[in-house]
Amino acid sequence: MDKFFYLIIEGIKNTWRHKATALTAIFSLFILLYIIGLISIAEKNSFKVLQYLRSKYKIEVFFSEDLTNEEAIGVIHKIKKIKGVKTATLIDKDDALRIFKDQFGESIIDLLGYNPLPASSVVNVERNIRRPLRIEPIIKEIKALSYVEEINYQGNLIKKIENIYKKIAEYIPYFSGIVIFVIGLIIYNMIKVSISSRRETIQSLQLIGATKLFIKLPFIFEAILISIISVSLVFPALILTSVGLNYLISNFTVYSLHLHVAPSLFLWLLILVTLVSVLASQRAVSIFLK
Amino acid sequence: MIEFQNVSYSHNKGYGVNNLNMLIKNGDFTFLIGPTGSGKTTLMRLLYFDLFPDSGIVKVNGNSSNRMSIRDISKARINIGMVFQDYKLLSDRNLFENIALPLHVMGFSSNQIASRVDEAIELVGLEGKESHFPKELSGGEQQRASLARAFIKEPDIILADEPTGNLDPVASFELVRLLETINETGTTVLMASHNYNLIKGRGRPIFELKNGILRVR
Repeated sequence: MDKFFYLIIEGIKNTWRHKATALTAIFSLFILLYIIGLISIAEKNSFKVLQYLRSKYKIEVFFSEDLTNEEAIGVIHKIKKIKGVKTATLIDKDDALRIFKDQFGESIIDLLGYNPLPASSVVNVERNIRRPLRIEPIIKEIKALSYVEEINYQGNLIKKIENIYKKIAEYIPYFSGIVIFVIGLIIYNMIKVSISSRRETIQSLQLIGATKLFIKLPFIFEAILISIISVSLVFPALILTSVGLNYLISNFTVYSLHLHVAPSLFLWLLILVTLVSVLASQRAVSIFLK
Repeated sequence: MIEFQNVSYSHNKGYGVNNLNMLIKNGDFTFLIGPTGSGKTTLMRLLYFDLFPDSGIVKVNGNSSNRMSIRDISKARINIGMVFQDYKLLSDRNLFENIALPLHVMGFSSNQIASRVDEAIELVGLEGKESHFPKELSGGEQQRASLARAFIKEPDIILADEPTGNLDPVASFELVRLLETINETGTTVLMASHNYNLIKGRGRPIFELKNGILRVR
C-alpha cells in the first residue's frame, strides 16, 4: 500500500517538479478542451435555436367570406389534426375588424358600411421534431380543406432554415469526430514530448530494478492530475462563455434564446481527456522502456 | 557469484567482448581494467542484463542469461547495485529522494526508508545535504550519493563502471575506500577502471580487458 501511495504522490510531485511542462500541458489542454466544449455547446443548442425559429414560423390561413364563425371553428379543428401543426388560432370576422382598427385607426364598417374582412387562422407548427420540418405537405393539406381561400407563409425562409439545420445535424457529428480525433492526436503527442524529455529518469529507474508498472504509474497519475486540472479550468470558462453569450443575446438582440451548458459535458470532457492522456502516457513511457 | 562462460557479444559497430571466461566468488572485490573501448562497459551491461550475449552464458546470483525473461530483469537488478561514471542520479529529486528510490521500488515503509537513508548518508559522509539536488553537489559528492543509492538496498553485488572517471585523485581514492568498506560487509564488488595507478597494490584480483579479450593480471 505504501508503494502505491508513493507512486500517487510521485505523480503529483512530478507535476510540481516539472511545473513549466505541466503548465504548458494544462494550457494546451485548456485551449483544446475549450474548443471541444464550444462545439458541444453549439451542437446541443442548435436544436434550441431551431425551436426558437420554428416558434416564429407563421402560417396565415384566410377563409372564404361566407364562412360563419361556427363553420370556421370546424375548419380550425381539422387544421389542428394535421400532422406537424401545433396550434391553430381562429381570428373571426369581428377579431379581424378589431385588428384592422388597431392597425389603421379607422373602422372599415364606417368606411364601407359592411365588414369585408374574412375570418382567418394563425397556424403554428410543431417545434420539437428533431428531423427537418417539411412545410409543403402541411400547406397542401390545409389548402385541400373547404372554405380555405388563401394561405400566406414564409415558404422560402422556412425551407432555408430547415435545410441549414439539416446540414448542421448531418455534419456536426462528423466534424466533432474529426476535431476530437485531431485534438486527441495533439494531446497524445504533447504528452509524448513531455515524457521523452524525461527518458533518462525512465532509464535510471530501470537500472535500479523498478518494474515497468512502477515506472509507468507516476506518469499516468501525473496525466490524470493534469487532465483534472485542465477540465476544472475549462468548465467554468465554458459556463462564463455561455453566461456572456446569453447576456449579449438578451441585451443586444431581439432573440429570446438561452444557451445552456449541460453538466454532463464536464464528465464527458474529463473522461475524454483522461482516457487520451492515460493512453498517451502509457504508450509514451513504453517507447522508452526496453 | 558472477560467472562468464565463453561469452561473446558484438555491437553493430564491431567492438564488444570475445569468448570471455571469468569467475568472481561471493564477497570478492575485483578490479577490471582496460583502456577506453576495450569492452569494460559491455561486460558490465552483460552483468546487469542490459545486454544478452550472442553466445555463451552469463550467470549472476543464480540468474542465468540463457534462462531469463524480460520480467526477471528487474528482479535480478534488485540484487545488483550499480554505480556509473555519470552517476545517473535523478536531477529533479534531492539527495534523500535519490537514495531512497531503490527502497520505494522494493516496497519498504516510509519509516524504514527514513532510517536506512540516514544510515546510508552517514556511511558516505553526506550528512546535512539531504535536501540538496544533484547539481548542488560536487562530482565526488554525487558519486558518493550514487554509491549510497547502490548500497542502500543491501545488494549481493555492486558493479561500478568507471566510478572515478570524473573525479579528482582524492575523491577517487575516497570512493575506492568506500567500496572496500562496503565489500567488508560481504558484498561482492566489481569495479571497472582505466586508472591502473588507483587500483594497483591493493591486493585485489585484477582482470584486464583488451580488445574484448580478458586475461588475469
